[in-house]
Amino acid sequence: MAGAVSHHERALRWLTEAVPRGRVAAFRTLVYLYVAADLVIFTPWVRTHAAVPPELYQPLFLGRLLPLPTPTPLLVHTIFWVLLGTALLAATGRAHRLLGWTVFVLYFEWMIIAMSYGKVDHDRFAFLVALAALPTAGAARHADRTLTERGGWVLRVTQLAVVATYFLAFWAKVRFGGLGWATGSVLARAILRRGTDLADLIAVVPGLLIAAQLGIMAFELLSPLVFCLRERWRHAAVGFFYTFHLVTIATITISFAPHLVALTSFLPLERAVGLARRAVARVRHEVPQPG
Amino acid sequence: MDTLSPSARLARALVTLAGAALLLAGSAWGSDDHFPFGPFRMFAGVNGPDEPAPDTRVEGTDVTGTTVTLTERNSGIRRAEIEGQQERYVAQPELLREVATAYAAHNPGAPALMEVRLVVRWHQIRNSRPAGTSRDEVLAVWRAQ
Repeated sequence: MAGAVSHHERALRWLTEAVPRGRVAAFRTLVYLYVAADLVIFTPWVRTHAAVPPELYQPLFLGRLLPLPTPTPLLVHTIFWVLLGTALLAATGRAHRLLGWTVFVLYFEWMIIAMSYGKVDHDRFAFLVALAALPTAGAARHADRTLTERGGWVLRVTQLAVVATYFLAFWAKVRFGGLGWATGSVLARAILRRGTDLADLIAVVPGLLIAAQLGIMAFELLSPLVFCLRERWRHAAVGFFYTFHLVTIATITISFAPHLVALTSFLPLERAVGLARRAVARVRHEVPQPG
Repeated sequence: MDTLSPSARLARALVTLAGAALLLAGSAWGSDDHFPFGPFRMFAGVNGPDEPAPDTRVEGTDVTGTTVTLTERNSGIRRAEIEGQQERYVAQPELLREVATAYAAHNPGAPALMEVRLVVRWHQIRNSRPAGTSRDEVLAVWRAQ
């Protein structure tokens, strides 16, 4: 019995393993800045749904359950501007709870508007988890080294969601495609539909696309092992994940941008902030002050 | 150190488990409709090594006789959204009029569309590699009265 209790205790400690507040602050700023960038740069087509006739709106389960209204130009443009403003404010770390929940609710509705016209994207589960968890992370200032368990939980659940995205993508391939997926023509199809010039060069090499399909399945299946690695190797594994997405962008123009932001939950972001601050201080020091 | 009380820690564990349960159920039995808990089925469909690849497009002919390809940029509708509702367009070709409406809303000065077609270009594939040949198939047509 005592053994079981300590087992639970260890799992709970792992789930809420403390991280520096500076890391939480950096992650928070990055996530909310991405929300603004998502609206303006990465998924501008969501806003264009304002002018799409309501006959083409096919609300998702949650849109029907709640029930959320059929998008009108007024609704879409209001959410766009309010969300843009609150996300930029939230990126400062102020009023983290109020602004955090507001951004989460508005972005969620934004996603229902995005995905209810016949196509659901699968690139943002972990990002949504980060948005849902961040309001509970507590106040956090950049460069603060104080350790925080509530912040640790936020990063941990985001990491779990990132890895779940990979592992369950393997599961979905088995469920919908079967193991024959690996020897099929899914990559050739993707390249014909949306490939780059680079992909066209790769596609003609005999056996290469099948090898890539086998590699993708293996990497997705094994992705949970990232949690068993020590820090240095864990960072190397995260580097491999980023490389995988880089190749995907370069060949079939699929960016998974919000997922890439969530993936930073594995990284010591506070060090990047520290480096940037020192660089800015050095530039200031070198520039002669007026007077 | 910002430490959690045992009850706060337990609450977080329970929320984590509930989220995981929803996600696993979605992956096991759910569909895209259950966003964000649906299965991660991007590129998960099975395509045989010699199965042709569909490359869908919507194109229109305007009053000047010019053919316009209708894209996310000029209609606000993504190609994948057309494909996601493809069966509806085939069953009710008059629904393509909504695409023409969306095009008109995005391009107020442009000549009106007299016809909208849903077309699939089938690219041939051999041994999991592109064969370099293709053929077009028109799935649905709407014409202005």
